[in-house]
Amino acid sequence: MTTEELEKLLAQQPVALLHRLARGRVHRHFRAGKRRLIELLLQHSSQNRAGLESDLQTLIDGQHARSDAGSSRIRRAPVIVHKKASPRGAEPDSAETAVSLSTWLEGLGVPSPQPFVPDPWQSEALSALNETDVVISVPTGSGKTYVAVEAARRAMEDNRSVIYTSPLKALSNTKYTEFSRIFGPEKVGILTGDRQENGQAPLLIMTTEILRNLLYDAASGEIDVRLDTLGLVILDESQYLADPERGVVWEETIIFCPGQARLLLLSASIGNPEDIADWLTSIRSTVCRLVRHSKRTVPLRAGYLHPNGKLTPLFRTLGIPYGHPSQLHPEATRLFHEYEEETLPAGRPRR
Amino acid sequence: MPPSIHPVDLITALRHKHLTPAIVFLTSRRACDEAMETFDHADLVLPPARQEAIAVALERVMTQHPSIAEHPLIPIVRRVGIAAHHAGHLPSWKIAVEELMRQGHLDAVFATTTLAAGVDFPARTVVITQSSIRKSRDFTDLTIGEVQQIAGRAGRRGKDHVGFAIVTPSPYIDLMVLTKGLTGQPEAIDSQFTISYPMVLNLLKAHPHEQIQGILAKSFAQFQLNQRAELLEQKLDALHGQMEPFGPRVCTDWITQWHTFDHARRHRHTRHQTHRSESPEISARLPFLTPGRVVGLGRGRGIVLRQYRSKGQKNSMLTVLRPDNAVTECPVTSVKEVYDRTYDFAETPTYPWCSTGTFDRLSHQLEELPPRLPVLPILVSTGLEPLSDAIVQSLGDFPCPTCSSRPACQKDFTTASRLRQEQQRHTKSIQALRTSLWHRFQERVEVLQKFGYLSPATQLTADGEWARLIRIDHSLLITELIRAEAFTGADPSLLAGVLASLAHDDDRPGAFPRISPGLSSLLGQVRKLAESLSPYEDPPLLRADVAALVERWIADPTLTWIGLCRLTTMAEGDIYRLLARTLEFLSQVQALKFTHPGLAESTSHAITLIRRGVLEELP
Ligand SMILES: Nc1ncnc2c1ncn2[C@@H]1O[C@H](COP(=O)(O)OP(=O)(O)OP(=O)(O)O)[C@@H](O)[C@H]1O
Ligand SMILES: [Mg+2]
Repeated sequence: MTTEELEKLLAQQPVALLHRLARGRVHRHFRAGKRRLIELLLQHSSQNRAGLESDLQTLIDGQHARSDAGSSRIRRAPVIVHKKASPRGAEPDSAETAVSLSTWLEGLGVPSPQPFVPDPWQSEALSALNETDVVISVPTGSGKTYVAVEAARRAMEDNRSVIYTSPLKALSNTKYTEFSRIFGPEKVGILTGDRQENGQAPLLIMTTEILRNLLYDAASGEIDVRLDTLGLVILDESQYLADPERGVVWEETIIFCPGQARLLLLSASIGNPEDIADWLTSIRSTVCRLVRHSKRTVPLRAGYLHPNGKLTPLFRTLGIPYGHPSQLHPEATRLFHEYEEETLPAGRPRR
Repeated sequence: MPPSIHPVDLITALRHKHLTPAIVFLTSRRACDEAMETFDHADLVLPPARQEAIAVALERVMTQHPSIAEHPLIPIVRRVGIAAHHAGHLPSWKIAVEELMRQGHLDAVFATTTLAAGVDFPARTVVITQSSIRKSRDFTDLTIGEVQQIAGRAGRRGKDHVGFAIVTPSPYIDLMVLTKGLTGQPEAIDSQFTISYPMVLNLLKAHPHEQIQGILAKSFAQFQLNQRAELLEQKLDALHGQMEPFGPRVCTDWITQWHTFDHARRHRHTRHQTHRSESPEISARLPFLTPGRVVGLGRGRGIVLRQYRSKGQKNSMLTVLRPDNAVTECPVTSVKEVYDRTYDFAETPTYPWCSTGTFDRLSHQLEELPPRLPVLPILVSTGLEPLSDAIVQSLGDFPCPTCSSRPACQKDFTTASRLRQEQQRHTKSIQALRTSLWHRFQERVEVLQKFGYLSPATQLTADGEWARLIRIDHSLLITELIRAEAFTGADPSLLAGVLASLAHDDDRPGAFPRISPGLSSLLGQVRKLAESLSPYEDPPLLRADVAALVERWIADPTLTWIGLCRLTTMAEGDIYRLLARTLEFLSQVQALKFTHPGLAESTSHAITLIRRGVLEELP
């Protein structure tokens, strides 16, 4: 392949493919627009052209293998995609089977007010909490706060104190306001690195670091924190366990959490909540209950908005086709392809 | 075609399709601010009633947070019903925007992805314009979990029947990352457990040394290490089965016998001295650097294709498959990390040491590896002499040449020895997985003993007793500074300035014109000490500009917030965070009031002086 041919072939690829090609070759390739990316790729590969060409081929084959739905690993000759008047017009996946924009936009609106009924998973978590520690892993916006509030209420009715931690000071402050409104200001206190209010209240909100410090102080027996009356520890956003810098604080907190207090871990959806639950079971005195689901309460639809203002569904299906990332809507595919083609001349990095 | 949709067109389109309120996630704070500016002259004005409602709501927030009164974005917010929300803003501004959004006054908010985490800030629609985010100075692809956190903001319970996640292209977008993110299962999370100096001191304060191993065993880190060890144990069991045909023969341990015999026979003439020159660290790694192993090299990662020795090379050599299908030869010493990840493949005797099919598969697997891999903890054992001269001398004494089992041994040796090597490797890995945390703990203990925070009997010394109260980043540097009396007699403003430079971990550039000679010389001292401690603790950025900024805020009580902001190019929100974090560091030092009353007093003084203006108004 001559440099020109290679350049042309590169220019015909979607930018996503170029980025894949650039991984490990071009530093900060995500900052580059398409044309610059091609320049950089060619520059970088002046020593190892063969490597670039074969990688490119593999990626192109991979794309075709995917769209052929067959996973034959046979190598093909370079495929030169020519600009078509109506790109992908002849593709087998024509628009008939794909959802239309009007259907996609249907049903949008405000539901009529409903009386509050706890979801089954919320009730399940609350009743499990009477017996054991609980790990909740559900999608964003499902209603974890309700479980936290009810659990805190029950513990306080039992004359036990409650600690609620969050990773962010801003979130702690929001919860302080929210919980003060629910339980009354005299019942709620806050301790963060630079703020201390109502530190003797039965429901204390703090950052996880502060709780970790309290637990260390209590372990060395020097301060009087009312850990003996502590009935419940709620760790919100516990997916922070995986934070490279701060994750260790969640582990320390859980390891040193007093035995008589129940632990309630609230987490967004993560891949292995059962590991967290099994871990808790292995180090605490009761069998930890895992409450998880991945279904969003408000269904989600995905769309694609073209820079010219044209809107289309992103996937062929009305909802998100879980497990099938390549079920793109033909119109979205066409527009995105067009975008990549057309931004080519102007595709310089914006920053 | 423009590289991305114009903000005014975007909002128009969203309004037109009733997709508001929306959160528009943009790549940078700058992009958010610039998007707001494009509305300066746009005629997208709201009807008077809605403008009025926004004004009223803003008034209400202002009574609690007067600092937002002058905010330059207020006119656009009122007129168009859109706002920007990012870490460059003061918390009070963010609170105001969140409040307006909750009350349903806004049509759109331009935000950075920091908004995705935790803050209760739902909308009908989220607009996604990027597929990667800046993480510690570099851009990385969004994880599936992150895409779902972002998309998860769409669709308010009780206010929407459906939520919409809308992708709009920009030069920063890789559509595949987003479609995978929207349709995939979130990643499993891994423990990030590390053992810090304050952790060691606090553990040893409360528990005797012999209990610590049991406490570390309760970590999620150990739980996951055990999971990996159990997998290896299963493999080990399988290997036991495979080893059955190779049990005792004429000699009980015929494999070793044959190995030694064979080795000696081959190397009788070409004995090289090189084996012994390898350090124990390198030797300990060798058994793991087998074909299929993923390793970290200086730049990027690779998969080992073979290990060999080359004449004239001091160390064993590796052939490694690198990301761009490149195959490189490098000495084992250039391996920076050995990861707990291997790929099985059939080796071939010639370049590239495996079949082409395998080669492609490995290249692909290398590309697809997650950014974070568990590192294999390798125990270094000293005194492993490879082959003593005595054995070679006594070659004639081997029974093998005349043994009746010789043909069988010769035939089976390759398989048997490979299996046994694998057994040994797994056994070593298992042992390492089970004890690595404890070893890391011991390493920390040794450092703390060296510096005199722990006695030889691992009791806390007088210094250890107070040092354990400093539970923040760079704790060793801070306690060493205190012991070196670097802060004795220092003005509260200098003390706070230094702590600010320790607390600030952001490399976003900022500029401050002048730094006082006192602070400058103190920072010099800190920098020297930090360098000398670098084998034990990563040195902080120690930016002089942030130190000077905090010094000024404390030294000059007449300085207003606006005045302070004018002194630097840092964003308001960053200055606020800097001061808040400095307060956290100060309050840790303040806890030393019993052992260091003078220092604690100076610290309280600094705390009082910091808390004024905006810092007092805000929680
Ligand atoms: N059973 C329910 N029925 C109706 N609405 C509910 C129910 N439970 C919670 N909600 C509402 O759902 C919204 C989201 O709840 P919440 O903030 O607790 O979510 P979350 O799971 O904590 O999300 P995040 O991951 O963002 O922290 C709130 O407005 C809440 O009032
Ligand atoms: Mg929540």
